[in-house]
Amino acid sequence: MNEQLQQALMDRLVAMADDEVILGHRDSEWTGHAPILEEDIAIANIAQDELGHALIWYELAEPYTGNDADSMAFFRDARQFRNVQMVELPNGDWAFTMLRQYLFDAYEMALLTRLMTSQYAPLAEAAEKIRREEIYHFRHSSIWVERLGLGTEESHARMQRALDHLWPYALQLFRPMPLDAHLVEAGFFPDPDQLQTAWQDVVLPHLKNADLTPPDAEPIYAHRHHHTEHLVDLLADMQLVARSIPKAVW
Amino acid sequence: MSEEKTYEEKLAEFEARIQRGEKIEPGDWMPDEYRRQLIRMISQHAHSEVVGMLPEGAWIPHAPTLRRKMILIAKVQDEGGHGQYLYHAAESLGVDREELIAALLAGKAKYSNIFNYPTLTWADIGMIGWLVDGAAIKNQTMLAHSSYGPYSRAMVRICAEETFHYKQGKEMITIYAKGTPEQRQMAQDALDRWWWPALMMFGPPDSQSIHTKTLMRWKVKIKTNDQLRQEFINEIVPEFLALGLKIPDPDLHYDEETGNWVIGPIDWDEFWRVIRGNGPMNRDRLEARRRAHEEGAWVREALEAYAQRQRQASMN
Amino acid sequence: MTRDTQWPRWEVFKQDRPDRPHEAVGTVHAPDADVALLNARDVYVRRPSCYSLWVAPESAVFKMTAYELETTPNWWKEDLPEEAPEETYHIFNKQTQRRSMVAVTHVGNIQARSSREALRKAIDSGQFVEKIAYMWWVVPESAITRSNEEDVPSMFEPAEDKTYRDQSYYTGSVFARRSQRRPEDIRLS
Repeated sequence: MNEQLQQALMDRLVAMADDEVILGHRDSEWTGHAPILEEDIAIANIAQDELGHALIWYELAEPYTGNDADSMAFFRDARQFRNVQMVELPNGDWAFTMLRQYLFDAYEMALLTRLMTSQYAPLAEAAEKIRREEIYHFRHSSIWVERLGLGTEESHARMQRALDHLWPYALQLFRPMPLDAHLVEAGFFPDPDQLQTAWQDVVLPHLKNADLTPPDAEPIYAHRHHHTEHLVDLLADMQLVARSIPKAVW
Repeated sequence: MSEEKTYEEKLAEFEARIQRGEKIEPGDWMPDEYRRQLIRMISQHAHSEVVGMLPEGAWIPHAPTLRRKMILIAKVQDEGGHGQYLYHAAESLGVDREELIAALLAGKAKYSNIFNYPTLTWADIGMIGWLVDGAAIKNQTMLAHSSYGPYSRAMVRICAEETFHYKQGKEMITIYAKGTPEQRQMAQDALDRWWWPALMMFGPPDSQSIHTKTLMRWKVKIKTNDQLRQEFINEIVPEFLALGLKIPDPDLHYDEETGNWVIGPIDWDEFWRVIRGNGPMNRDRLEARRRAHEEGAWVREALEAYAQRQRQASMN
Repeated sequence: MTRDTQWPRWEVFKQDRPDRPHEAVGTVHAPDADVALLNARDVYVRRPSCYSLWVAPESAVFKMTAYELETTPNWWKEDLPEEAPEETYHIFNKQTQRRSMVAVTHVGNIQARSSREALRKAIDSGQFVEKIAYMWWVVPESAITRSNEEDVPSMFEPAEDKTYRDQSYYTGSVFARRSQRRPEDIRLS
């Protein structure tokens, strides 16, 4: 692997890990506050899975970053995170949370399906394992989008509002990272444009079935090192204890 | 088929079944008092699990490693699951979850006092797992032998899962007691604050416990509050001392004759004050539950409306 | 505000391994069968192991205890039209008083025209009980929604990777051994 390919691989692995850790953190904030006990349990399951996936991606990146997963999650500042902005936004209501989860799950399904044939074997192996859990997440969030979209006038209005807000952010998932071309060329990572097409082919009909219409809005096309101020707050929460006694074993 | 039996005959038969070690199942005849006591106990227990998600859930965002974060989410999730199992056991007695939750949110139902104390440092999470869940396990292990089938089954399931809660907490405190000076201080501070509330979890002393006698006669409970409390103290005191932690009780001593660790007086005034709603976190806990319930109402209604339409569509 | 809803209850039947029967593990609340199946997974398969889940509306499950059978004269009597169609009924019962986390275990199927008739046939056949049954449940096949074999990798196998929720993942005993409880036996670790 040449240096540029290594750098590209590391960037992507860290980006995937950062997406998962930040989304997992947001999901876990619902534990104890969900609309019904069964969903407290369901969202806690999803949160654990996402954090588990973050751990896998960070560990795959470790030979290149030189840092273990906890150093990556707890000892970097907002400017160093490479997650998309969608996952750092505050949870909002249950409509916002479920729709964000759905848009992200659909992206992960498209991504992982392609990573299973990645020429970088560790990536292919990890993708296969992670995808099993994602199939379940996607099933869960698809069911919820349909029901909330079609449920009552209120639930539909909340879902449409969430979609209006989230859609431009979701498109940031498909913005290529600066060195992606090397990964695509090596067959390590799918072409982000193709990924977007595959994602839209799944998401658009499902949203339509749920009576939801994506807005005609400019995508958020920021690079992954640009963040909202919400990430700063999130990291202050997340890193509070770890940074209070930096050398400690927990 | 014989004539309808008298109440006394049914009661005698019921008590004989319990003496034989049979489980009473939903649908079986049972005295109204047995049903009433079970609904009271089981629903309090269910509420405790659900409210109990809050003090620990508050630290999920701050967990210091990814592993600890996943463990804590899993643990709080289990508590939700335990609440779910217990509401199920209560429902088998003819009440429904809607009314049980309404009573909780209206401040009419009790739940364990312990959850009205605040979690103030990360070490509290370890101490709750070890000390508080340790106390809970003593109680739950007993209740797994309860004469009411659904309650006993819920408890067997809960006990199997609760051991994980206990062990992850013990692992944390063991590490922190031997860790940096700050960690050690956190662990001691957590023990100082949680020790007495944890001992109160076993309930008022036998002399003041109004329900114990009936509950033991019908094998809903097998041991008294004081018996369980003493067993627990004997088991856990040596463990803390071995880590070099101090028990916040100047009167604590070992009694050679009985083999018991004997504690000083428990502040029962505080116990009753917290039960009456004046603990440090009572108002906040209920408010958090109310908010989740109210903000979730549109969600529950939406899914119900969707399901109703689907049913109608499939009938046409 | 309208009346609160916690959604209807569904009985959950879990099969640990392909060679084991389904067992009644408890209920979940859910608005419909699809959600009930997911909720059953999230509530009852947080830990291994599971091979198959069934859910059925609680209202569709016919339950009789031995005590009820004994004390309800003519419990099997009902107005059933002669031409009522037969269907498959699943028979579950409980044959032990040992401590357990399941209510009843699947013991077989019966063709019948109603749950009551299925139970009467099941009891009369004598083939579903060794000594005594303390509790019987009957569930019509048409009321059951089930996971299928393709669901196993995504619904049930991931629980095996969450090793941190298993108590054996942690070292140390649950409580101090009796011999270590006296002050002179305590060693600072």
